[in-house]
Amino acid sequence: MAASVSSACDGCSVGRAASLVQLGVQLDRWDFLVALAGNPNTGKSTVFNALTGLRQHTGNWPGKTVARAEGGYRHAGKRIKLIDLPGTYSLNAGSADEEVARDFILFGRPDVTVVVVDATRLERNLNLANQILEITDRVVICLNLMDEAKRRGIGVDVVKLSQLLGVPVVPTVARRGEGIPELLDAIHGLAAGDIKPSPYRIDRYSPELEVAVQRLSRGIETVFAELSNSRWVALRLLAGDGSITTAVRTGEIGTLRENGTQHPGSNASVPFRVSDRSRSDELLALAEELRWTLNPDFEDSLTESSYATAQSVAQASTLRGLRRTGFDLDRSLDRMLTSRWLGFPIMLVILSAVFWLTIAGANIPSGAIAALLLDMGHPALKGLAAGIGMPWWVSGILIDGVYLATAWVVAVMLPPMAIFFPLFTLLEDFGYLPRVAFNLDKLFQKAGAHGKQALTMCMGFGCNAAGVVSARVIDSPRERLIAIITNNFSLCNGRWPTQILIASIFIGALAPAHIAGLVSAAAVVSVAVTGIGAMLLASWALSRTVLRGEATTFSLELPPYRPPRILRTLYTSLIDRTGIVLWRAIMFAAPAGAVIWLLANLHVGALSIAELMISWLHPFGLLLGLNGVILLAYVVAIPANEIVIPTVLMLTVLTLKLGGVGAGSGVMFELESTSATSDLLRAGGWTLLTGINLMLFSLLHNPCSTTLYTIYRETRSAKWTTLSAALPLVMGFTVCFLIAQIWRIAAGW
Amino acid sequence: MGRSRNCTLDNYLGQILILGRANSCSIGPLPTGSHKAIWGDPTSDRLLFCLTYFGVLMVDPILALTAFTTVVVFLVVLFWPRHGLASRIGRLLRMTERVRMEDALKHLFDGEYTGKTCSVESLAGALEMSRARAARLVNQLEAMELIHSDGRGLPLTNAGREYALRLLRTHRLWERYLADRTNVKPLDWHDQAERQEHALAPAETEELAARIGHPLYDPHGDPIPTATGEMPPQSGVPLTALTPGQSGAVVHLEDEPREVFQKILDAGLVPLMRVQVIDMTPETIRFTADGETLELEPVAATNVTVVPLPHGEVGDGPFDNLTSLRSGESATVVQIAPTCQGLHRRRLLDLGFVPGTLVTAELEGTLRDPVAYRVRGALIALRKQQAEWIYIDRSDLAVQS
Repeated sequence: MAASVSSACDGCSVGRAASLVQLGVQLDRWDFLVALAGNPNTGKSTVFNALTGLRQHTGNWPGKTVARAEGGYRHAGKRIKLIDLPGTYSLNAGSADEEVARDFILFGRPDVTVVVVDATRLERNLNLANQILEITDRVVICLNLMDEAKRRGIGVDVVKLSQLLGVPVVPTVARRGEGIPELLDAIHGLAAGDIKPSPYRIDRYSPELEVAVQRLSRGIETVFAELSNSRWVALRLLAGDGSITTAVRTGEIGTLRENGTQHPGSNASVPFRVSDRSRSDELLALAEELRWTLNPDFEDSLTESSYATAQSVAQASTLRGLRRTGFDLDRSLDRMLTSRWLGFPIMLVILSAVFWLTIAGANIPSGAIAALLLDMGHPALKGLAAGIGMPWWVSGILIDGVYLATAWVVAVMLPPMAIFFPLFTLLEDFGYLPRVAFNLDKLFQKAGAHGKQALTMCMGFGCNAAGVVSARVIDSPRERLIAIITNNFSLCNGRWPTQILIASIFIGALAPAHIAGLVSAAAVVSVAVTGIGAMLLASWALSRTVLRGEATTFSLELPPYRPPRILRTLYTSLIDRTGIVLWRAIMFAAPAGAVIWLLANLHVGALSIAELMISWLHPFGLLLGLNGVILLAYVVAIPANEIVIPTVLMLTVLTLKLGGVGAGSGVMFELESTSATSDLLRAGGWTLLTGINLMLFSLLHNPCSTTLYTIYRETRSAKWTTLSAALPLVMGFTVCFLIAQIWRIAAGW
Repeated sequence: MGRSRNCTLDNYLGQILILGRANSCSIGPLPTGSHKAIWGDPTSDRLLFCLTYFGVLMVDPILALTAFTTVVVFLVVLFWPRHGLASRIGRLLRMTERVRMEDALKHLFDGEYTGKTCSVESLAGALEMSRARAARLVNQLEAMELIHSDGRGLPLTNAGREYALRLLRTHRLWERYLADRTNVKPLDWHDQAERQEHALAPAETEELAARIGHPLYDPHGDPIPTATGEMPPQSGVPLTALTPGQSGAVVHLEDEPREVFQKILDAGLVPLMRVQVIDMTPETIRFTADGETLELEPVAATNVTVVPLPHGEVGDGPFDNLTSLRSGESATVVQIAPTCQGLHRRRLLDLGFVPGTLVTAELEGTLRDPVAYRVRGALIALRKQQAEWIYIDRSDLAVQS
């Protein structure tokens, strides 16, 4: 065993820790490329942050909707680029995550692969470590969560484990930065070639498989002499692995040898000769021939032997007879949070608290931003424009259109999201959200969906675009699509103001004044609940029709409870979620503002385009119990539900040709008092039916363009994007139409 | 425009649009403010107000509902799966001359493989066409040198055999793909593969093979011909050929006709399962599979091919499965049910449910489904259906608890 592990003295670790410079995203060239692999819930991202700092490049793997994070650091004079691989249980390439991780370790040619292993669940985690050791020699095992292991009375003999695996093993508590200097040294040692690993390779297969592997790996070694993992390549060929077969055929597999100095793109690979080509074809033919001699389910036995090895290694290196030093909260917490009687009440209380905090907390900043940007900023800008003699139509498009729409979206959207997303992420980090999925799974299962859809649904109450992105937590392709397509049935925070306003004007007004508020609140909540019903119904219908044939697998791990990391949570939820969603919304709202202004101010003959369109849309609107103004508002306000009501009011004033109300044609506005709004709408011919149907239509219509764009990015399919737009729209039209007709029959029209 | 008008709405029953008679609409005092003319023309001006603000432009609700119902019925008739007009027309359009020819080749190859003699009559029967038409098809195939009729049967030429093997390869690869990578029901595998075998080009077939890991067998247990057209000979006997007490391993389930295949599926049979015949009567054959007693009519049982096991070797089971564990109880995994295939199987294995693993039922959950099991240190929630797939042994329970 050449692996020298944690041999470093503690004295110098301080100096080494000081030599770590977290580079975050400033990384255009690097000396070593390091991949970070591990099971889900092993604290892999904590290790990542401990090495690179909070800032990171996030994006997708090319051609996949699998998140990719990159960061960098400088250590001992070398710049190191760190790639965070998706957390997986295995590398069997059965899911997109596994494929990404496997292909990067194999073809991305990292100088070192760090496998983050949960010290409390050694056996399970070593299964993945074993599979990685089959592929590459240069592995560092980062034995994380040592503090948790200690609390649970689990001890690991690090030296023994390192001897058994043949690679460096570094115990860490990444959350507190313990062991990080040693980890840095081990990475550096391996990358620079100072440490020579001799990794453990599984050598126990069934006799028939062993014969086939030996024959084939001998063949591989004669063609590709430098390969260090010929047995693994032989196994993959016998399993019919598509990408390995291709790599053998093209000879690419021969360039993957590990000589310690290679970097992507920098290696001058030996040209693959034509004579080699025919030899690799012979190899593939041999593999094909051998495959028929194997048991059809021999791949099952591979997983079995991988786990069996993991088990024996884990048992040999686990220290026994330790005492638990902490009280095991997990089990009692789980019993309470998922209990038959308390499970649902606790869930309702927690989720209501989150929503209440969001709504109550967002009011003040929302008002402040509106006062600043709308009440003060808009007139100031208009004044400025007039002052510099800007033509009226330029200031109209830019200030009344683009600026106003953008400011509106920011004022309504930003504060709730900035409160909701961090709260939600804290619950997620703590480990409560998987329990919610667990509690609700049966309900969603009946609708053909995944319990985790409950989480994407909750996220959708904040913002549908964020809800669509969060569907990545669902790893089964069909259920993920269902969650994406039906997310729009969650009443997002851009639609709540519409609901509340219309409910208080048309429904609250029916009740006596002292309970009017309660009645309208009940109306809004029942619309939201109707939305949940519509989501379950649509999920059920989708899973039995268009999505019937999509692949489906269920898995749900309930990770141990862990104290959330506040800073990281704030960072990821504010930058990654809120920031990106808001930016996209602004990008879509800005041009929409210009369009709205132009529609109201460009004239064809005596009429503005808006009036013309309203008169075309009006018959159809009436058929649905709505009107032309509402339909046009929903057409032009596709970018953001937030600007529907301001647009409706502006258009109503425009068609009524009212003087003294509003701020001019094409300028969106809201009225100070609900009663003034009520008067205006009733003057526009609105009735109780219009109010009810608008509330339903606000729930059941196409997603905003930000969400549609996000759906397209997540599914990469025009088909599913179209379906996501058409499904709620058709439902909305149908429901409004039926209600209008029945209403009219009942009222004797 | 400022004058006051009384609004009495005429009752236009049965009319969809009443634009033409808009003059009879009069307008009452408008609620607020002064209104300017929107249309220049006074008639249209009055019209728009009628239309916009007082909902005159309205359709009789009963008529609207009738029209709506008609449209819905029409759409259902048009797009109903399998039996709708759209799918019927689609099937007709796909049934081209080439497809008929390819189907004929497959029929002839099947006859050759199973040792049955094919004739123009059998071809007409298999392809559901008239004898004269089948004869014409045979002539065409002969002209293309895919078969050479020698008076006895319709033997394939080498070119014809290669062609048929390519079709068969695509068909079985596609079935494997559906079984492993999608959630398409077993009953629908065959029909979809029938369509794809005519649609995929050879290069696409090879791409598919690479993508799903160059499988050797289709989900019915049949070998898939290799790209070079090799395929091992068929082995095994019908289930009905076993004697009571004898055991066999299922190697093939015939998927045609659909109704019979449905019965086999309902019985829960899958390839690789071990069965043991209990007794046989002309009406029914009783046997055990994975420890459960099953019954099949002989017509269905002949469509199940088994390889007889040496005497003395019997099937396994019966097994308990994970759902029988009460909260807090433990057991070891024996195997994952053969009925659990493809992605489901892969996932369960990856989660650590491999034979020999100790599993403890830990949390029952609010609605008792799913249940969370402690396996190799992690708490994994499994749905009832998944838990049923995991066979367990509770015999060494005393040791564990």
